[in-house]
Amino acid sequence: MKVLVTVKRVIDYNVKIRVKPDGSDVDLTNVKMAVNPFCEIAVEEAVRLKEKGIASEIVVVSVGGSEAQEQLRTALALGADRAILVESTANTESLNVAKLLAKVVEQEQPSLVIMGKQAIDSDNNQTGQMLAALCDMPQATFASEVSVADNSVTVTREIDGGLQTLSLQLPAIVTTDLRLNEPRYASLPNIMKAKCKPLATVTPDDLGVTLSAHTQLLGVNPPPQRSAGVKVKSVAELVDKLKNEAKVI
Amino acid sequence: MDFALNDIQQMLKDSAGKFIHNDYDFETRQKHSHSELGYSEDNWQLFAELGWLALPFAEEFGGLDGNATDLMVLMTELGKGLIVEPYLSTVVLAGNAIQRGGTAEQKEALIGGIVGGELKLAFAGLEAQSATDISSISTQASTQSGGVVLNGKKQVVLHAQSADKLVVAARSHNNNGNIALYLVDANADGVAAHHYPTNDGARASDLTFTNVAAELLGDSDDAAAVIQAVLNDAIVAVSAEAVGVMDKMLSATVEYTKVRKQFDVPIAKFQILQHNMVDMFMECEQARSMVYYAAITIGEGNSEEQVAEANKASQFLKWKVGQAARLVGQTAVQLHGGMGVTDELDVGHMFKRLTMINTLFGSMDTHLDNLVKQRQAA
Repeated sequence: MKVLVTVKRVIDYNVKIRVKPDGSDVDLTNVKMAVNPFCEIAVEEAVRLKEKGIASEIVVVSVGGSEAQEQLRTALALGADRAILVESTANTESLNVAKLLAKVVEQEQPSLVIMGKQAIDSDNNQTGQMLAALCDMPQATFASEVSVADNSVTVTREIDGGLQTLSLQLPAIVTTDLRLNEPRYASLPNIMKAKCKPLATVTPDDLGVTLSAHTQLLGVNPPPQRSAGVKVKSVAELVDKLKNEAKVI
Repeated sequence: MDFALNDIQQMLKDSAGKFIHNDYDFETRQKHSHSELGYSEDNWQLFAELGWLALPFAEEFGGLDGNATDLMVLMTELGKGLIVEPYLSTVVLAGNAIQRGGTAEQKEALIGGIVGGELKLAFAGLEAQSATDISSISTQASTQSGGVVLNGKKQVVLHAQSADKLVVAARSHNNNGNIALYLVDANADGVAAHHYPTNDGARASDLTFTNVAAELLGDSDDAAAVIQAVLNDAIVAVSAEAVGVMDKMLSATVEYTKVRKQFDVPIAKFQILQHNMVDMFMECEQARSMVYYAAITIGEGNSEEQVAEANKASQFLKWKVGQAARLVGQTAVQLHGGMGVTDELDVGHMFKRLTMINTLFGSMDTHLDNLVKQRQAA
C-alpha cells in the first residue's frame, strides 16, 4: 500500500514570531524553519504503518520554495522513501495547495493520504478537507487513532466532548491531531541515508495547475501584550472579579 | 571560508536540539543527576538508537565515520541540556583511545558494544600529583605470571561508577618509562573505587589498582601520541559543549532581564547591562569561532607539522573557552542576582559545568603558560 504524506515548511514552534513593522506580514528574516508539527505526526504515522508491514512505500510531498527541500529531507530521515517538491512560492493559499496536491494524488495513486490537520503558521485547517473534495475521497479529520485493515481505515476522531470512530473505504484522506502519536527523533544513520533518497521537483505548470489568488492578505497584527496581574486580598474579592470583571463564572 | 553546516550536520543539530528541548529539561536533568546511576539508562539506549554513540567510530567497526566537526555539532546541542550521561568518558575519551590505539581485534571486540549502548567505558589518566600533566603519572604495569598487572592510584576518573571497562594510562610493563594504555575490567579483582558526585552534577571516582590483571591496548607500549590526540579531540568536544552551555546562559540572561523590573522598567533597558550582554555575546561567538578552528585543524592529518598545529590549536581553544566561560558565567550569575546561584535555577548549574570544563584537560592558565613557553623556545 502506498501512503502519501504532505509536509509544510513553517516557522519552528519554539520561535517567538515577529510581525513586520509595517504590519504587512510575519517577519521571516533569519527565522528558524521546521516541519509543521502536525505534518511530523503524519509522517510518523505513515512510518509506523510501514513498520507494521501495512504500508509498502511512503511518498512525502511539499508545496513551497526550494528551501522546503530541507523539510522533505527531514521527512526522508524520519523514514519516508521518496519526496516530491512542488516548487511554488506564489499564491500558496489552501485551495491552490489542495489543487496541486490533487494532481500529485492523481499521478501517484496512493491508497492513503495522511496530512497534518492544520499548519501552525496560518492555522487554516482547510487543505485536507479541500483535497478530499477535489479527489472525491472519504476523509477523516482530527485523527487520534488510525488502524488500517483490508481495504478500509478505521479512524478515531477527537470531537467536542468525546471521540468519534469512523470507517472509511480506501483510498482515503486522514488528517492528524496532536495526540495521534509522538514523532521520533531522526537518527544519524537515517539522516545519512536520507541524502541518497530520491527527491523530485515539479512546478505547477508541470502539473497543469494555474494558481490564482482567491484571498488577499490585508494585514497582520501581533496579539495584544498581556497586562500585569493584580493581587486580591480575599477569596470573596477573587470570586467577585471573576464574576463581574472577567465574567467567567 | 564557508562555515555553514552541511545538510547532515544541520539535521543532526535539529534532532539533538529537539531531544534536549522535548525530553531533557532542567528538572529532568536534575532527576537523572540525583538518581543512583547518576544518569538515565533509557537515554543512553536512545543515544545508541539515534547513532550518537557511533558518530566518531570507523564504519568497519559499526561506526558512522564522523569527524571532529560532526562531534562539535552534537556536543554543542548536548551542552544546552547539561547532559549527565557518560558520553564524554565512553565515546570521546576511552572509546576514542581504543579507536586510535587499539589492535583490530580490540576494536572489533569493543567498539560494537559502545555503538550498541551495551558497553560503557571510563578513561583513567590523571593522578594526585599529575595535576593536568598526563606525563606525570606513576601507576606501573608489570609482568606477573605471564600476564600484565597494574598497581597505582587514579583520581577523578569520570563516570567510572557506570563503566564496564577502564582504559588506564600507566608506565609500561617493559620498564622503559613509556606511558602505555591498558584495558582493565572495571569489576576486576584488585580494583577499589571511591565514587562521588562532582560539583557539576556528574559522577567521578578515585580508583586504586592492586595487582589488577590488564591487557595492553594496541601493539605498542608507547601511547603518548595516542593520548595527545585523544586529549585534543576531548578538548574540542568539551569546548563545543561549553559553547552550547554559554549560548543557553546568554539567552536565559537576555530573557530574564526583559522580565525583571527595577524602577518600573525591565532591567534590560539599562545600558550598562546591555553592554554586559553584548560582551557575553562576543565571548560566545569568539569561543565558537575557536571551536571551529580547532575542530578543522585537529582533523587535518598525522604529519609532524599537522600534529604540532593540532596541539597548538587545542591549547589556544582551551585558553579561549576558559576565558569566555568565566566571563559569560560570571555575568549571567551577576545579572540574575541571588537567583543565579540557587539550586532551583539552571543558571548556577551551567556555571558549575563551565567551571568544571575549565579544569578538564588543563585549565586556561596551564594552556596559556604552555603556549608562552613554546613561543619562547621557538
